[in-house]
Amino acid sequence: MSSLGRIADAVDAYNAHVSAEVTRARTDAKFAADLRARWAKIRASIETTHSPTGTPLPRLALPPTDEPGAIAEYLFGQGLPGEFPYANAAYREMYLDRETTTGEEPMRLFAGLGLAEDTNARFKHLSTHQKSLRLSTAFDGPTLYGLDSDHEGVLGKVGEGGVAIDTVEDMTRLFAGFDLTRKDASVSMTMNAPAPVILAMFIASAKRRFGPGCVPNLRGTIQADMLKEVQAQNEVIFPIDASLRFLCDMIEWCVPNMPRWYPVSISGYHIAEAGATPVQQAAFTLSNGFTYVELLRARGADVNAIGPRLSFFLDCGLDVEYLVLGRVCRRLWAIGMRDAFGANTKAQVLKLHTQTSGRSLVTAEFQNNLTRTAVELMLSYLNYTNSCHSNSADEPFTTPTEKYATLASHGQSIIMEESGVFKHMMNVFGGAPGLLILEKEVEQAILAVFREMDTLGGVLAAQEQRYQRSKIQEAGHAYEQQIYSGKRPIIGLNKYVTDEPMPSVPLARTSPKKQRLQVERLRAFKKKHAKSAPAALQKLENIARGKGNVFAELINTVEVCSLGQITACLTDVVGKFRPMV
Amino acid sequence: MAAAQKPRPPAPLRILTAVPICDGHDSAVSTINMELARHGFEVIYLGYHCPVDVIVRAALQEDVHVVGISSYNGGHIVFFKEVIDQLRARGARDIPIFGGGGGTITKADERVMQRQGTDRIFHAGTPLADIMAQIRRDYARPLKPNSKLRGDRALARAITLAESATVGAALRRDLSDLRSGQSPSRRKTAPTANARSFVVGVAGPGGAGKSTLIDELTSRFLRQNPTGRIAILANDPSHPDTGGAILGDRVSMIYAQDDRVFFRSLATRGSLTGLSAAAPAAIEILKKSGEFDLILVESVGIGQESDPFRLFGPKGPLVDAMLFVLAPYYGGRLQLQKIGLLNGADFVALNKCDHPMAHTARAEIAARLDVNGKGQRLFGTVAAQHHDPGVDTLYAALADRGGLTVTPGGEKPCQLVVAP
Ligand code: B12
Ligand SMILES: Nc1nc2c(ncn2[C@@H]2O[C@H](COP(=O)(O)OP(=O)(O)O)[C@@H](O)[C@H]2O)c(=O)[nH]1
Ligand SMILES: [Mg+2]
Repeated sequence: MSSLGRIADAVDAYNAHVSAEVTRARTDAKFAADLRARWAKIRASIETTHSPTGTPLPRLALPPTDEPGAIAEYLFGQGLPGEFPYANAAYREMYLDRETTTGEEPMRLFAGLGLAEDTNARFKHLSTHQKSLRLSTAFDGPTLYGLDSDHEGVLGKVGEGGVAIDTVEDMTRLFAGFDLTRKDASVSMTMNAPAPVILAMFIASAKRRFGPGCVPNLRGTIQADMLKEVQAQNEVIFPIDASLRFLCDMIEWCVPNMPRWYPVSISGYHIAEAGATPVQQAAFTLSNGFTYVELLRARGADVNAIGPRLSFFLDCGLDVEYLVLGRVCRRLWAIGMRDAFGANTKAQVLKLHTQTSGRSLVTAEFQNNLTRTAVELMLSYLNYTNSCHSNSADEPFTTPTEKYATLASHGQSIIMEESGVFKHMMNVFGGAPGLLILEKEVEQAILAVFREMDTLGGVLAAQEQRYQRSKIQEAGHAYEQQIYSGKRPIIGLNKYVTDEPMPSVPLARTSPKKQRLQVERLRAFKKKHAKSAPAALQKLENIARGKGNVFAELINTVEVCSLGQITACLTDVVGKFRPMV
Repeated sequence: MAAAQKPRPPAPLRILTAVPICDGHDSAVSTINMELARHGFEVIYLGYHCPVDVIVRAALQEDVHVVGISSYNGGHIVFFKEVIDQLRARGARDIPIFGGGGGTITKADERVMQRQGTDRIFHAGTPLADIMAQIRRDYARPLKPNSKLRGDRALARAITLAESATVGAALRRDLSDLRSGQSPSRRKTAPTANARSFVVGVAGPGGAGKSTLIDELTSRFLRQNPTGRIAILANDPSHPDTGGAILGDRVSMIYAQDDRVFFRSLATRGSLTGLSAAAPAAIEILKKSGEFDLILVESVGIGQESDPFRLFGPKGPLVDAMLFVLAPYYGGRLQLQKIGLLNGADFVALNKCDHPMAHTARAEIAARLDVNGKGQRLFGTVAAQHHDPGVDTLYAALADRGGLTVTPGGEKPCQLVVAP
């Protein structure tokens, strides 16, 4: 049995345990009294607050019951916010007004366009109104594929869909003016196959700017989840085992050296956007997460050291399952980590970033996209996501232009700060009947996928047989068929269609002049380091051929080598990924 | 000859699809591919992150009716133009191009692209059924003999004709063209009588690693034969009901994307033998061209009982040697006895030797081959591993049998440490 079978069994066992506790609460007077006492104590500890119109409210909403069975069901089945099994939330308090006025807001907007200085300007614009500094970087195609901007045939893609980064100097331009060592600064980077190189550039650049001692203070996340790349996003450069080795090298280096850094963001977003159903998204994402735990453990890591350093990233679309997807994932992760991997409290908590669904946004009557995103944001917050990106209404056309990026950001502020939904009470909806029904259904469906993958030999074996890919593709095909058969209503596209002409939407595109400028910068860098680069690459190659930690060396290599030079060097050693389609 | 009188269905439309370099958005194209196959089209899919030269080479060698590109990561105006320019430069002005990319390709972009030679863009919101109907309406035309074609395109067209209903006459004429010096050969001299290709059939269950192994063998051929050419014929099944197919072997080739490789995907179009009915003719065309030192023919991953390569061959066996590929999880000794192909194979590759069952499997197969007593050779390979020494040995043995050049050395040893 692969670990997936064990995890599914652990969840069944935990659910049976909850049922047993509920029965005991109803039959064992002593236990019932204890529970009632605990419940009363929790209740008493909850502060009262007032809405702007004077309505008194508890800061934490709990089910209005005193029945021991119901209390047991709640405490063990869902857990208080911040308590095992974390269905309600990762922390006791989130989103409350004092949080959003003094703490960090969940908003984290993904941005990247043109050259480093263009993205830097966008970062400045987006962070003007944020109290904390939460930057999130989108890279362009060549960077995502580890190629230099002067690589044959990529010029047209330079700076499109994200920022072009070739060298450590570009990295310095990207974050110029931001104090990355601030306690409330955090930087996220959507970077995968070349993640070790890009994070090395980030570190090298920070050392240049803030001194060599700054590294432990750097805070943020790099996506680096190679399994979902193989399954859905298709940014794989090296063969899978080599990709996983480079990733594990990076994680192992970060765990002791960058205590505030999340070296992997286990992502379902791309899986869902590629077409997966919500259940498939959750099942593949969680199972990928468990696979990383196994891989790292097999290399000698302690589950309690790595557990807290894993973070997650889910999609949130309009399908009904999204009412509970984050909740169910947190619960399954906690049970799996605790009961199948023996993880302690800190290592059980799934920390979640959510992005509203890009695929749900369409060109037809595109202003409706604002509404779709607003609904998805509500769903994301209902799941108490720890951070959140909202897509812009111009999503189907272009990298967001400033106008729509601003509206997307204001959408979050309107829900969080203007509306009272999340401000006064924590856990407004947890335990609602519809949520409970969905949670059970979704959880069982996820476990069924776990068991199916288990019979195929686990995640990696299933992946080799294209299991995840073919499921995702079938679901994606079905989704499009549903749209064009009218079964899935998309307002303005296949329902209530008006014949308003398509407005022309401003596009964020990178001019050929800028693209050439990037190539010139890169060439100047290569020229400057022409003498030192070969030795640096040789050193890297030697380590890659041996057993050393490639990531530790990359931090030196990037001082004098470009991304493309490094990719080529590593490809020489480990070969190329053979595409899976 | 009752069968011959029945009107033959028109040969399926062959369409090449791909996603540009530095772009991994494949969800749209996967859906389009599935729809195309469902509507009876043959799709040669080149995958995501696909460079221009790979698309152009494939368009020529696969002799497609049309090329469809799905682009999302921007730069489409430049990319489409580059494909068109390279097609024109290689004498394929007549292959049309269309594409899509949701809302990222605007109507204004489309106008620019059309001026540069793109046929049309399927914009966001175009119903799938409309896309299929338009493709059928505008691109389904029979591909005819064309004496103006040169090089790989001429070879490709000859194979197309062999595949289509016109096998008989057209094929004979084409072959005689090839013989009479109108050869698509890149060699200056016409093929001499003793110019000879070594033809190897590759059979084995689906997923055993045939395609991966062929790609690895190709990389060794290219390294060790600095000027020679290799041809690969990859047979893939057609859907029994729709007649469509997604021909996916080409995309998994990372070393075979080279002008010294002629790669052709063949759909079985109803043939149940594991090979297209046109495979014998295609092999003949490739041999006659005198271009290729080595021809590898991959059969469909079925038929462990009968040997697809012995069924054909009007004048004796179709291939000079047969390589049987299997993975360690064939289900134990009893199952092994049932694999009839193990009797006919000249070479047996036990692939996926990184699998825990490999050790046992190797011993069982060796014992079985021993009993056969035909001097069949067994090789343990890990095709998925970069520079696998087992594949080196297998290649050396094949090259030896086929009289191919072997330039030893030249490769760095690799001791990759992998996770965990
Ligand atoms: C799904 C998606 C993803 C998924 C892709 C999953 C996958 N494996 O395909 C994920 C999440 C992984 C992803 C990642 C990225 N994405 Co994206 N993605 C999208 C999204 C939301 C939908 C595209 C889609 O598949 N639609 C479904 C298809 C079926 O419908 P359609 O697009 O309307 O197409 C119709 C027709 O055009 C036609 N069609 C399309 N192609 C073809 C081809 C042929 C041959 C034919 C006949 C017809 C045809 O078929 C459809 C039916 O009519 C778009 C935004 C949007 N809403 O459109 C962004 C979008 C395309 N992505 C974008 C970007 C920037 C990226 C990233 C680069 C982000 C980053 N920096 O990391 C990465 C790059 C990933 C990579 N490897 O290249 C940008 C591109 C911006 C630009 N060009 O200016 C967009 C526009 C979003 C945005 N506004 O920022 N993305
Ligand atoms: N573990 C392992 N996987 C392999 C090996 N060779 C091929 N594969 C994988 O097996 C799958 C099927 O390979 P493919 O070449 O398409 O098989 P075919 O159907 O026989 O052509 C792919 O996912 C390959 O990456 C190997 O030696 N070891
Ligand atoms: Mg194959």
